[in-house]
Amino acid sequence: MYLNRVHRTFPKLKKLISRPQSQAALSEQNEYSETPEYPPIVDTSLQGRKLRERQTLHQKIKEINTVEEKQIALNMPKYYGWKCVMLNEDKVPYNAMPLVQYYTRSHFIPVDKLPQYYEEFSGSADAVVQEIKALIEEAILIENCGVERTFTTTVDKPENSQKEDAFAKCIVKQINRIITNNLTDKVEHALTSQIDYDPRHEAFWFVGGIDPSERLVNWRKQYEWLKDRLHEPVDRPVQYIGTPMLTIRNRQPLKPLVPYSDAENPEFRVPAVTHVPILTGYYESFRHGTNIPGYWPGDLDEFGLLSYHGRGHILDRKESFGPQDNLEALHCQAMKASFGWLLAQANYQGFTTFNDITYPLATQTVITNGQLWSLYAYQLNTIEMHHDKVDNPKSNICFGTKPLKLYDSIENGKVQGLNEDVLKMLVQFYLNAPEERDHEMKPYLGQEEQVVADIEDDNRRCWLEKRYKHLVANRPRHELLPETYLWEKIYKIKFNTRFFEAKRRPFELGINPFNRRLDEHLPPYIPKALRPYPRSRKTFETTYYPKV
Amino acid sequence: MSTRWYPIYQRGNPQLRVFLPNFWMKLVRPESKQLPNIVQFHCSMEMTKFDIKNYLEKIYNIPVVDVRTKIALGKFRRDVGKGYVIKDDDIKSAYVVLPKDMKFEYPDIFGSKKDDGEDEQKALSEAKKNFKNYIDRNKHRTDVPSWFTI
Repeated sequence: MYLNRVHRTFPKLKKLISRPQSQAALSEQNEYSETPEYPPIVDTSLQGRKLRERQTLHQKIKEINTVEEKQIALNMPKYYGWKCVMLNEDKVPYNAMPLVQYYTRSHFIPVDKLPQYYEEFSGSADAVVQEIKALIEEAILIENCGVERTFTTTVDKPENSQKEDAFAKCIVKQINRIITNNLTDKVEHALTSQIDYDPRHEAFWFVGGIDPSERLVNWRKQYEWLKDRLHEPVDRPVQYIGTPMLTIRNRQPLKPLVPYSDAENPEFRVPAVTHVPILTGYYESFRHGTNIPGYWPGDLDEFGLLSYHGRGHILDRKESFGPQDNLEALHCQAMKASFGWLLAQANYQGFTTFNDITYPLATQTVITNGQLWSLYAYQLNTIEMHHDKVDNPKSNICFGTKPLKLYDSIENGKVQGLNEDVLKMLVQFYLNAPEERDHEMKPYLGQEEQVVADIEDDNRRCWLEKRYKHLVANRPRHELLPETYLWEKIYKIKFNTRFFEAKRRPFELGINPFNRRLDEHLPPYIPKALRPYPRSRKTFETTYYPKV
Repeated sequence: MSTRWYPIYQRGNPQLRVFLPNFWMKLVRPESKQLPNIVQFHCSMEMTKFDIKNYLEKIYNIPVVDVRTKIALGKFRRDVGKGYVIKDDDIKSAYVVLPKDMKFEYPDIFGSKKDDGEDEQKALSEAKKNFKNYIDRNKHRTDVPSWFTI
């Protein structure tokens, strides 16, 4: 009994001693069966094995319990972050529409009126418009003529587009205030919804079937076994970043605009754009993939209803692009913003780019500068478009109008020609009530643990919370990335002129820093004075990275 | 435009009138698959995006929507005789975006080389045949040099 206390090696010794007298218990099952049971035949080729590796990864991510851990798991392979194709809300290159449509799998339907789905709110919207018309006119008038404002502008964007966005934000705030105030006693969700100003919208996903870059093709050329796979398409991580002026969100999701079965309609398929994105005017950046719909996991109002975006970036576009391309740029902005927001929301429901959503989500997007309003309704049917799911038959659907004038001009202190149709459409967006769904919303999250805050273990919960917030903050690393200097590239890699020197640099030891995994670092050291009494040998703190 | 100094006119001096600009642009085959409305050029290092746009618009009447440039590092190689490492000049590439309804395909200047290959094969087999004949003819005179033969 006291032997355990005599020496700490004793329990270990006990384990080592074998038990020669013991016998294996007789198995009850008969090992013979009527028909022979063979293990499944698997594809043992390199591609087959790699495919199975990816599938197990996707399965593991699916089985993780909490939202935050899933997000960390998405970033596990890359310590220095993914080399993402950056889709910014307000940077739209020339002829961007085909690429944006393919990367978000969005079928765009240009409309003059809102789709059929909004018909049911038509009557009540008319009544509301008559009530708020005068208030809206007054608000527009005050914001245009009655306020003298000084905007503080930053240097990273052109001044005129910043000014336009700032002005549009004032108008949007007023109009939102007027409409929600009017609707509070008419519809239930007007009161229960939350309003965010300038939230942070980020979304991360993989797009498969993209052509390899020149550099990758050259890299493949050096290996014999890659000879017939030189131009094999690759997966590209994509990161969307946007900041709406104002968003409204609720506990319940919006109803889908079209039936979910329509998602597989072959008419909605988007033509593939497989060109290397940097050649078509996009840039790449190393960063951790983040999915943030403007709130942290665990917030109860987790479904978006409406988001307002500025269109100041249109002023910054070159004159040679022409008005038609500017219109397409607005559509691109709407598709990116809607898809990005819905994807981030879907991620908070436990779906990721590797585990497709099981039900459709919808949102409404408005792009405005105060006078011109374009309205978009978007339905998210699929978020899975990575390398193995390039042929995904589902596509997302976006309905969108042209920019419509809310009013013609302001003359003699009066708003001339207020367009009631535009106002009506906007009110219809507000009247579109979210509804509780009768299916399970979070099939891939745990029963008890859905977010990190639900975890009982204090150490694990605090560690994960801290790590997740640090990861999605995308702060620059404390230590710089190991760099291969140009002189090393010339005199050590290309020409072996310094063969007599000791090989100590990472590239000489065959280490590719970009293949470092997220958990390949020393955990924080526990000073001896802080270790538990007596004699703890634990030198480093525990890490709780998801095991994928 | 030119980056060469234009001498300031002095009264009585002979005036230089003709200047060949040192701006040049070379149409090149795109490195990888490119959108049909994007054309790739190599150009003079001194040219800016505006220069490129003006060059194409004013001289060749090409509608240019956008120009993107990059400077690619020249290749490093060993000097053949001396053995030390030397570097080729850097290259400025310009990606010129045409309106999206326009298409440009890099011309196939030299045509297909299929016929030339057949001719070469024919000549080679002819030579092989002649050599075999020669060997057969002289198989009993192995000690006689080739120039002393019939």
